[in-house]
Amino acid sequence: MNWKPRSALLAAVISLSLSAAACGSSPSTSSTTPKGTITVAGFKFSEGSVLAELYGQALQHDGYTVTFKLNLGSREVVGPAIKSSQVDLYIGYAATDLEFYNNSAGEASGDVTATTSKLNSHLQPLNLVALNPSSAVDQNAFAMTKANSTKYNATKLSDLAAIGGQLVLGAGPECPTRPFCQLGLQKTYGINFKSFKALDTDGPLTRAALKNNDIQVGLVFSSDADLSSLGLVTLQDDKHLENADNVVPIVRTPVATAEVKKVLNAVSAGLTTADLVNLNSQVELQHMDPDVVTKAYLQQHNYFG
Amino acid sequence: MPGHLFLDYVDPWINWDWLSTHVPVFLAALQEHVTLTLIAVGVGLLISLPMGVVAHRWRALRNPVLTLFGIFYTIPSIALFALLIPYTGLGTLTAEIGLVGYAVLILTRNVVVGLEAVPNDVLDAANGMGYRPLARLVRVELPLALPAIFAGIRIATVTTIGLVTITAVIGLGGLGQLILQGLVENFHTPLVVATLLSIVLALVADLALAGSQRIALPWSRSA
Repeated sequence: MNWKPRSALLAAVISLSLSAAACGSSPSTSSTTPKGTITVAGFKFSEGSVLAELYGQALQHDGYTVTFKLNLGSREVVGPAIKSSQVDLYIGYAATDLEFYNNSAGEASGDVTATTSKLNSHLQPLNLVALNPSSAVDQNAFAMTKANSTKYNATKLSDLAAIGGQLVLGAGPECPTRPFCQLGLQKTYGINFKSFKALDTDGPLTRAALKNNDIQVGLVFSSDADLSSLGLVTLQDDKHLENADNVVPIVRTPVATAEVKKVLNAVSAGLTTADLVNLNSQVELQHMDPDVVTKAYLQQHNYFG
Repeated sequence: MPGHLFLDYVDPWINWDWLSTHVPVFLAALQEHVTLTLIAVGVGLLISLPMGVVAHRWRALRNPVLTLFGIFYTIPSIALFALLIPYTGLGTLTAEIGLVGYAVLILTRNVVVGLEAVPNDVLDAANGMGYRPLARLVRVELPLALPAIFAGIRIATVTTIGLVTITAVIGLGGLGQLILQGLVENFHTPLVVATLLSIVLALVADLALAGSQRIALPWSRSA
């Protein structure tokens, strides 16, 4: 019996895997540029990539080497990543981020300035800072099909209080514990839904479930480009549950130099909700790449001088 | 109307124009997918072989070892990644801790099963020929366990190719990233093409492993 060829083959398989491992882990970032490297994180929805590219490319143009970490899961992934310096900045939303960092204490309000300054008081001990908020806003909104809106005679969220027991709410799995989702709907509007269905956050599953009448109310975002074309209407937030979730860059304090702040604040100052809807629709409906549409936007608006 | 995943606006299954301009994206995703899988199965095997031998030799350890990795298998991947990120970062290491852990359960179990299937009379004969325990393990027991180990490698590889997609939440995921893009943008092309590539990759890997098993273990061809 001669085992050698077989064990040689096994050894070859193992060493092949190992050499692949060595290749896979070799870093490819070169930091020879004078201004250093900034790692920008983006959330895993198209607007997350759009915003990361928008602010990241402005930094790139200013001479920084920018590493993008796009399509990261929710704040439960990005939060630990920025706290442990794995990423240097991400583009957040003032109220949602405030409620994330204060453990849903309910401090956020419709006042952007107050919300941002409260956010900063929670970020400071973590060595993070929120820069100037943009006027562009992406709020949670609750959508129904036009047919159901007519059937239940519901145009605003307070209309749902009386009929909540007949309706199923659908949203991402974190919704029942979030103050701007099911928890807030119950507290502010007294809506007790028949049941909750864990789907995606503002994604195709929510849209399909609305269409199929598996759910009657679904969480969407105010900057979504496709709602009217899908026959969905958003319910008016007549008791102001949803706070102004303005786009705001959240940066590690050591990275937030005067120059970085200047570049990022300039992007925030120019960006409007209409711009955001326009960028989103190019990515979501026309399937253009986020880096391409944001580059065109920055060029058109003379950020590249 | 169950089963209607997508709304009925017109989106072809494959938008060839878009695909033709995004071939490098698919190739990069495929490469990342293969790399993540190779590391997971390779490192998993390096851990599983000694662990399987230990669990086989000392019977008392068998159930604790397999249970430990069985429990690891039940940890939701998103929770695992959130716990790991502060220590291991947003990259290959974090992804592989999860993927290797999942592969080790499958591989260790097959190493143990393979070793236990070695007939007692073969062991007696080996002892009678004067093999010492280590030599008996390396030259008699492990070779006879190889068909079961190979079966484990095949299962682990195919499973890992599917599991790689979960690492999309930390920005990796190989083809999973494109599947996610298709879902997020309600766009068929990346979803369909990446899913097909993932299936083809699993089939090719399984056939390649089956082929190398036939070459390496000619005595087990009927298996």
